[in-house]
Amino acid sequence: MAVGSGIAPLPALVLPKVRSKNEAVALGILGIVLFLGLWEGAAQIGWINPVVLSSPSRIAVAFAGQWESGQFLADLGVSLSELAIGFALSLAVGVAIGIAMGLSRTTEYALDPFVWFLYSTPLVALYPLIVVWLGFGFATVLAITFMLTVIPIVVNTLAGVRSVDPSLVRAVRVFGGSGYDVVMKAVLPASLPLVLAGVRIGLGRALIGVVLGEMFSSNAGLGFRMTVYAAHLKTADVFVPLAAFVIIGVITTQLAILLESRLQSWRT
Amino acid sequence: MTLSRRLVVGTVSVLAFLVLWQFVGQREIVRSDLISYPTEVFATFVHLTSTGELGSNAAVTLQEFIEGFVPSIVVGVVCGVLLALVRPLRELLDPLLTAIYTAPVIAFIPILVVWFGVGTYSKVVIVFISAIFPIMINTRVGVSEVAEPWLRAVRSFGADQLQIVTKAILPGSMPAIMAGIRLGLGRAIVGLIAGEMYVSIAGIGRMIQTYSSAARSAEIIVLVVVIAVFGYVCVALLRSAENRMGTWRSDLE
Repeated sequence: MAVGSGIAPLPALVLPKVRSKNEAVALGILGIVLFLGLWEGAAQIGWINPVVLSSPSRIAVAFAGQWESGQFLADLGVSLSELAIGFALSLAVGVAIGIAMGLSRTTEYALDPFVWFLYSTPLVALYPLIVVWLGFGFATVLAITFMLTVIPIVVNTLAGVRSVDPSLVRAVRVFGGSGYDVVMKAVLPASLPLVLAGVRIGLGRALIGVVLGEMFSSNAGLGFRMTVYAAHLKTADVFVPLAAFVIIGVITTQLAILLESRLQSWRT
Repeated sequence: MTLSRRLVVGTVSVLAFLVLWQFVGQREIVRSDLISYPTEVFATFVHLTSTGELGSNAAVTLQEFIEGFVPSIVVGVVCGVLLALVRPLRELLDPLLTAIYTAPVIAFIPILVVWFGVGTYSKVVIVFISAIFPIMINTRVGVSEVAEPWLRAVRSFGADQLQIVTKAILPGSMPAIMAGIRLGLGRAIVGLIAGEMYVSIAGIGRMIQTYSSAARSAEIIVLVVVIAVFGYVCVALLRSAENRMGTWRSDLE
């Protein structure tokens, strides 16, 4: 690109990039600090009603209270285990269905209408039926999480299997591989990038499932606690589980992105 | 050939599902108040429509949706363009926006109800918040990926700042913006229904909540299908608008 333009452009191209990365991090932190500072300041001065809008210091106090009583950790434990179990189930079933659909046209055509219906339906609306079937609590939250999560994993796995180079499958066959070998040695590894994209989308939806399930049909967990605090107008307390959900969302998404990029660098 | 096979197998499997459902439900092999059955669902749909209950509640939900979604498109696109073009602003707000974008927005419902009340106002805000972040972030990404030659071409013909935005940046990032709007649409519908179900005075979500406390599966299934059809129609409308705009790259996305 910079052929024949001498040495000068090189540092000009490289240096600002490095500096701007640090700058971006610093500015990003500044943005968060400014936001919290403005919020706190507005509440202190009385521009906003802290009873309604709360303030960072009040939320910190609320967090300390929930932490000491053990309430926060208990809720967090329930929510995280629902997230983990719901997601693991969806991953196992979703990948299996996706591969089955990818390997057999007839299976794909037969399941396609249902997958697309579930993909385009706001599944929230189905929760009352699940409550009627499974009752209040853990099982219902799991079922809602599963329904929300399994579909994107199926769709992405299917796309992944479709993208596998047929010559890979033939190579395994030529060396005497069984159907099982074809799946484990060719199809699954080759479709991994798209499966992981499904994992990333699925993680986000699993978290939504946990929040929904707990808000509407549970008696434990961060989502349930949020509705209890909201009903008592304890706004500062509502923000503690809310912030926890935001942080869990950021961490799981970043982990999935990290996993994806690791895989990319490993493949190339 | 393949398409017709897809159609045949798909239709057969859906019909088989409906027949099985009808059989299991009507013969009470599984209690029909738990799963209902197709003919009962259809009769319920006719009944809910003829009494006007469905229509009046759907009107409330539709109004909340429009009042929240249209502003979220306008504000989302404007903010997205600003974020893409003004770098300090983007770097200042990026972590905050990403955090809110990846967070489950429905977790904000309880606090929004505390702030904006149980009526339609809180639902409009939920729709707005659910939709605006995907639209804003897609617009930002789309704008920053508009090809440099386009910008140079427009600039070299003497365009001012506004013309650069309207003639190069917006058309160039249209596929990304439309993808953001589609994503926002899905989230808005989920947020709206969840919000109405959480607490409300009228609307489809309110109906679902009412019938679920009476364990009326047929009514719930009718409402679920109504919402699904609404979402499907919205996506179809968006796609046709996209094609009308001559977005030759709509298949990239």
